[in-house]
Amino acid sequence: MERRCRVSGTLNLLIGLAMGLNLLALASSRLPTLIGAVAVQGVVLGVMPLLMEHQFDWIVALVALGTMAVKGFVIPGLLRRAMRTASVDREVEPSIGFVASLLLGSGGTIAAVALSRALPLLPEHAGSLLVPGSIASVLTGFVLLIGRSKAISQVCGYLVLENGIYLFGLLLIHATPLLVEAGILLDVTVGIFVTGIIVDRIQRAFDSLDTRKLNVLRE
Amino acid sequence: MTPGPLLLLAATTLVAGIVIGPRARSAWLANTLAGALALVAAAILILLGGPVWEWRSVFLIGGEPLHFRLDSLSALFLALVGVVGGASTAYAHEYWSDRDRPHSAPQGRRWSSAMLLSMVTLLLSANGLHFFIAWELFALSAYFLITLDRGRREVRAAGWLYLAASHAGTVCLFAFFAALASRTGSWELGPMREHAELAPLFWLALAGFGLKAGMFPLHIWLPSAHANAPSHVSALMSGVAIKMGIYGLVRFSGWLPVSAAAGWTVAGIGAVTALLGIAFAFAQNDFKRLLAYCSVENIGIILVGLGFALVAESQGASLSVWGRLALAGALLHVWNHGLFKSLLFFGAGSVLHTTGTREMSRLGGLWRAMPWTAGLFALGALAISGLPPLNGFVSEWLVYLGLLDAVTNHGSAAWAAMPAIIVLGTTGALALASFVKAGSMIFLGSPRTKPARLAHECGPWMRAPMLALALGCVAIGLAPAIFWPTVARAVGVWQPAWTGIDAPAPLFALGWVQLSLAALACAAVAALWWQARANGLRRALTWDCGYAVPTAHMQYTAGSFAGIGAGWFAWILQPERRLHRPRGLFPTDAIRLERIPETVLERVIGPVASVIMRVSTAVRRLQHGHLHYYIAYLLMGLSALGTFVALGSKP
Amino acid sequence: MMSFLEIVLRVAGWLVLAPLLPGIINKVKAWVAGRRGPPVLQLYYDLGRLWQKGVVLSTLASPGFIAGPAVTWVAIFGAAMLLPLGPAGAALSFRGDVLLLIYLLALARFCTTWAALETGSAFEGMGAAREVSYAVLSEAALITAVLTLSVHTGSVTLATMLEPAAGAGAALLGAGLFCVLLAENCRVPFDDPNTHLELTMIHEAMILDHSGPPLAAILHGAAMKLLFFALLLIEAVVPVGTLSPFAAAATLAASVLAVTVAVGLVESLLARLAFRRVPLLLTTAFLLCLFALLVAWKGGAA
Repeated sequence: MERRCRVSGTLNLLIGLAMGLNLLALASSRLPTLIGAVAVQGVVLGVMPLLMEHQFDWIVALVALGTMAVKGFVIPGLLRRAMRTASVDREVEPSIGFVASLLLGSGGTIAAVALSRALPLLPEHAGSLLVPGSIASVLTGFVLLIGRSKAISQVCGYLVLENGIYLFGLLLIHATPLLVEAGILLDVTVGIFVTGIIVDRIQRAFDSLDTRKLNVLRE
Repeated sequence: MTPGPLLLLAATTLVAGIVIGPRARSAWLANTLAGALALVAAAILILLGGPVWEWRSVFLIGGEPLHFRLDSLSALFLALVGVVGGASTAYAHEYWSDRDRPHSAPQGRRWSSAMLLSMVTLLLSANGLHFFIAWELFALSAYFLITLDRGRREVRAAGWLYLAASHAGTVCLFAFFAALASRTGSWELGPMREHAELAPLFWLALAGFGLKAGMFPLHIWLPSAHANAPSHVSALMSGVAIKMGIYGLVRFSGWLPVSAAAGWTVAGIGAVTALLGIAFAFAQNDFKRLLAYCSVENIGIILVGLGFALVAESQGASLSVWGRLALAGALLHVWNHGLFKSLLFFGAGSVLHTTGTREMSRLGGLWRAMPWTAGLFALGALAISGLPPLNGFVSEWLVYLGLLDAVTNHGSAAWAAMPAIIVLGTTGALALASFVKAGSMIFLGSPRTKPARLAHECGPWMRAPMLALALGCVAIGLAPAIFWPTVARAVGVWQPAWTGIDAPAPLFALGWVQLSLAALACAAVAALWWQARANGLRRALTWDCGYAVPTAHMQYTAGSFAGIGAGWFAWILQPERRLHRPRGLFPTDAIRLERIPETVLERVIGPVASVIMRVSTAVRRLQHGHLHYYIAYLLMGLSALGTFVALGSKP
Repeated sequence: MMSFLEIVLRVAGWLVLAPLLPGIINKVKAWVAGRRGPPVLQLYYDLGRLWQKGVVLSTLASPGFIAGPAVTWVAIFGAAMLLPLGPAGAALSFRGDVLLLIYLLALARFCTTWAALETGSAFEGMGAAREVSYAVLSEAALITAVLTLSVHTGSVTLATMLEPAAGAGAALLGAGLFCVLLAENCRVPFDDPNTHLELTMIHEAMILDHSGPPLAAILHGAAMKLLFFALLLIEAVVPVGTLSPFAAAATLAASVLAVTVAVGLVESLLARLAFRRVPLLLTTAFLLCLFALLVAWKGGAA
């Protein structure tokens, strides 16, 4: 019991850290910082399944390691490479200002905490930040997707959104552990492929990674 | 001694003032000052703990017997009417003199007597009908005062806007008083908390009185009316008239049974009013509009205090004692705002009187020509920014303390109190920014235009009222504990469970701290001055990192000073900009104009009104004077009615 | 009742120790940059020299130009007297003194900006405009921090509020208050006290035209303000009030030194922010304090 308490404390701390990284992602004005924030968030979330399992399990450990590797290193690495090869300007171009998106994000976080108290959760999840963290990340992802115009920052927004869904999935980890993990990994991989292809196409067609220029296609 | 004879004296002088005002200038002045003194004396008698004064008569007005009552709550407002009314009377003697304004000055004297009289009647009335009549007379006489200078188009426009808005409020109040009378079966006013069915009526009162008080978003009439009225009228309007709205709210929220929702609403509206009011004030370039918007902000602070008092009451007055601190702070702020806002409007009036412009960016450097006005304006600015050791801080401190107690109680009110405190803090910082801007743009630096260079100090009749009000500010600031019992009595009238409370001990400590701070500041100034003098004082051009010939046009302007802060509120301020950049090697002209519209009026009400006007213009085409068409309308109407009846009776 | 001797000691401590802090910061900066740097006591020499110097007044300046620095100094001194020093308590303490503290800092700001605008110079107007605008955000952060402490301890008296540590949210609160410290004292990354580009300064731009004793008052006041914020930050985060007097004194001294060195390191390692980024950092400080408040609230409710 005491161990569970400690574990849930650590878990909450990690989720709190992830929520802080959400805000950092919203406030960062340069792409490398944004990618870094998303990468660290991926690693933080990757550790979590290890903490949630009561006894050590090889499969869970492997999946956790895989998540960490993919979210924390592979994808950010790919993004950094894309940024270099496509020689993208490193400034984030916000259409929702930084202060405004920061306030939106933190308002969303507070609302998520308040909202999750009203939700009918299992008693074991009641004191946990899993649900608010998940909602907050999804909101942050949306703010990033709406408020940033560069394709790479949109990918980051998508990743944060994805992290939110992943957090929600963790609620089910005791019920169907492997399935959740596999589903998550698959989802992320597909997402990255799709976005990678999109980035590549945009780059070839328009010599730029600014999605605002896509409105040329509207006719 | 009872206040009766004093009130009779005051009423006589004010009625006499209406009669003799236009003709006898000096007699009117002495007469009105005597009346104001009598009012203050009567209020003090009650505020010092005298029994409630009641007077019933068999005279009938509108079928109702006259019934007057003066308790601590109305005495609090009556004292303000006396002080600011007297000050404004004296100020007008020189500011709006017969020599400068041969036509409007006599009329102004008549209407200001009428306005004072109607406000006094309103405060004393214990009968709903008479309260309402006095309210209407008060609104009308204020209209005539605002439009004293009605040769100018913008004054007429401001007057019309005021009149229209005021009557929208009157409609609410008419509904309120009529419903009250019909439900209780009598026009008599008094505590009626036991009638739970009356609770919804508070919303009508909130709309009617709130409009007069200038709460957001019903404040639309306030900026233009206060800016365009003569300054002594602005002082009277801002210092006292809008407080009548607060009086109505405090009075009826104390008498009516009020739901918790009302408390939350009032507090929420108050917080929004405070923040947006000061945001608008900060962005203004016209100093009288700045002062007007700042009144909106202060009304917001008062409403926050009142709202939390209502919340405390709905949660059980004896449990939530913090509510009394919030209410006491709000009521003290009524006084404080009355004092320093009138002082500031008088200062603004002196500047306007000598320079003829309300644009801050056309002024500057006036302290040399008008040291008294500059010093007193600076004092008012310190006070209104809520800075210690002056009075503004004391009342804001009480409101804050009430809210902080609500937070530390961990009740449900804490959820609202925490954001309210943060909003109040932000508001305070913005108020400081606004008044640094106003004071420095008008009085500091070098004169930007010719009128500013040729300015001169105002005369003794304008200086004396400012000095008196400034003394009031200092007195409340340095000795708040002396004024606590009066406010506490008013709080006791509002909620009997909160009567007989001692001054909170920290208030004494605060008073001593403020006093020693003031003394220490004076000593430090003297020491620094003495040391500088001893070392040798030399005058030279402003160094400014080596500008050889600094000119007045290089100075920061009001617009540039507010640029950063106003940018944060651009979403609500919606500034209209006109920019013409300098071009070429030898640019000849460059223009940058910025106007801050009254957003609610011009962006919301304006468009809606124009749609209504368009629809009604279309409908008016039916009215053309051809008789045979009218007969056709008649026929169409009849047949439509017939069809309607036939369809309705079928099933 | 506090003895006369204690009051004298406290006043002397504030007056004498405060100018040490800027000296330490400069020493740290010099050390990081590999220079020898000015002596730690440089500000004392400067103050002594300035106090003896004559004053050059702008032809436009009113008496407020000299009164402003004096009142600013008094306001900061008053705030310092209200701040409790660990178990020794404050020189004066009453319910709600924390609000007086915040508003005294505001009074100091009013007088500084007022005096700055006396000269009619564009640079000083610029500095004053920035000062009052950014103060809106830092005041929001500061008042949120105060709320946090007040929720955590259930008190509105500084002596009680600062006695225990801020609990679970201490790290958040500390970070937020550190940002406020940097902003309010015009340090990098908000402002650069050493720059020679008037266009980019806040505080230094406001005092360009001051000289002689008024400048000495301003510099000493600024040093006191730095010490004040360092102590406030430490006492909010470390439970100094619960320690024994000697341990408390040692902790305070060590922590003030640590904060000062941290300021110096920040100054050496970070560049000054672009002005359009300043609101972002201040909003972050506000949000840090806000989340500390939420943590304190949850901790109190549970």
